Amino acid sequence: MTALWRSFRRSVDIYAALGAMAAKARLAYNWWVWADFVMTIVSMIVFVYFWRAVYAGTASLGGLALTQTITYILLARILAPLIETRMIFSFGYMIRTGQVAVEMTRPVDPQLRISVESLAEAGVFLVQRLPIFLIAWGFFGLALPADPALWVVFLVSLLLGLGVILLFDWCFACLAFYVTETWGLSVVRIAVAAFFGGTLVPLAMMPDWLQSLAVAMPFAQGLAVPISFLSGMASLADAPRVWLVQLAWIVGLLVASRLIFSVAVRKVTVQGG
Amino acid sequence: MTTILRYMDLYRYFVAQRFKILMEYRLNFYIGTISTAVQQAAALAAIWVVMRQVPSLNGWSFYEVLLVYGLLTMGESITHMFADNLWTVGWNYVRSGDFDRFLVRPIDPLFHLLADRFCQDGIGNFIAGAVLVGAAMQALGIAFTPLRIAYLLVTVISGGVIFIALNLLTATSVFWIMESIPVTQMVFTMNEFAKYPLSIYNAGIRILLTWIIPYGFVSFYPASYLLGRDVGPLAFLSPVVAGVALLISYRVWLFGLRHYSGTGS
Repeated sequence: MTALWRSFRRSVDIYAALGAMAAKARLAYNWWVWADFVMTIVSMIVFVYFWRAVYAGTASLGGLALTQTITYILLARILAPLIETRMIFSFGYMIRTGQVAVEMTRPVDPQLRISVESLAEAGVFLVQRLPIFLIAWGFFGLALPADPALWVVFLVSLLLGLGVILLFDWCFACLAFYVTETWGLSVVRIAVAAFFGGTLVPLAMMPDWLQSLAVAMPFAQGLAVPISFLSGMASLADAPRVWLVQLAWIVGLLVASRLIFSVAVRKVTVQGG
Repeated sequence: MTTILRYMDLYRYFVAQRFKILMEYRLNFYIGTISTAVQQAAALAAIWVVMRQVPSLNGWSFYEVLLVYGLLTMGESITHMFADNLWTVGWNYVRSGDFDRFLVRPIDPLFHLLADRFCQDGIGNFIAGAVLVGAAMQALGIAFTPLRIAYLLVTVISGGVIFIALNLLTATSVFWIMESIPVTQMVFTMNEFAKYPLSIYNAGIRILLTWIIPYGFVSFYPASYLLGRDVGPLAFLSPVVAGVALLISYRVWLFGLRHYSGTGS
């Protein structure tokens, strides 16, 4: 029993150290953080003016009032990078450089390692986003709920949603074992996620057939679903059902990702042996 | 004149070599080309979803907005195709020391940098933009007279030059901070404003996008002219703005180049 506990403690230590490293690496790039800041502010200004102009001629769109839509869109702009990831690009790089062979021989599970790193980065990202969050709240009309329970529900749903996105990305990234143009695929992946994840338009405004497509894809789980709790589109009563759906996605994708990876990784040939 | 001809000849040679590389990996070429078009499709689908439910955006119909969007996309695609190395100059050339190679060659370093990589990923954007402009003009009943075609041609080239000039200006930061993408990104991102009619913004933003970071001349002012909306002489200023912006940027680039000391020591 103590041996098992010790090995568990060891694993926790290893993955905690990896997560901390990823967080530090993200903080190191000062210029990048500033560029990111400016880009987000610009896109928020563009969207606020765009939606104000849209609502100039109507009081409600897809059942949403202007303040609701603005709140939703601002949150979507702030959190969008969480689902606009490019794991397939890193996979392509790993395969091209032969790094993948090193990954395979390491005594840590590559999927768990990348997941822990990604979640640590997401944590740092959320903290770094606080100033933008405050700016949106102070200047752009972000209207947030006062009920702390909604915030808890939101955070749980966001965490589950990130799990869904990570597992989906792992499956998608396995394409890199078959196709070498991973930059293009990552661009396609981000574009599809942006639209069907609800970062550009609230899903409620889409025609029915597009909405059903969005529900059939995992991207909304990482963005539109959690945000709906903060923008008054979903209530506390919806939480258990939403969490169950997200868990179902996680279980399904977890099985799929392990399976797909074990098949795809056999395709790899590293030059020089 | 002979130098221009020589450089054009050289450019053809560079692009031919580049295409040989690209065609070695044909599938990659097509994925790269299509990927940027998919990106545009997502943004356009979003505009469509919204605008099918409202009569207009500040008095601009769906197709009028498409025209603005299409012109911007075409301008952007030109820098993507011909000047994409302005993005990668930091990590691909300066930090690796490869940039020094350009300095000892008997051709202009900036020309060499740009000619070194024709970027196929911009082709999809160019086609997407052209289709948008064509479809919008068709739907709005704006005939393609020779005069309008000439105006469009000048507009798209000027738009491309404005994009290239701003990217060149910001890429120069590489000579001081060894990386230029974040600085370029900060200015480049302003083109988001010009995807929609500038009239939806307040005066401050309009002035910024007209006189300081002049993306308005890529899309809004030419589109206004084509749609018969009065914007005064601004309708014809795009080539002038493009020329001035390029001149300033090139001066700054030369200044930066004199301060370049390589990555060693």
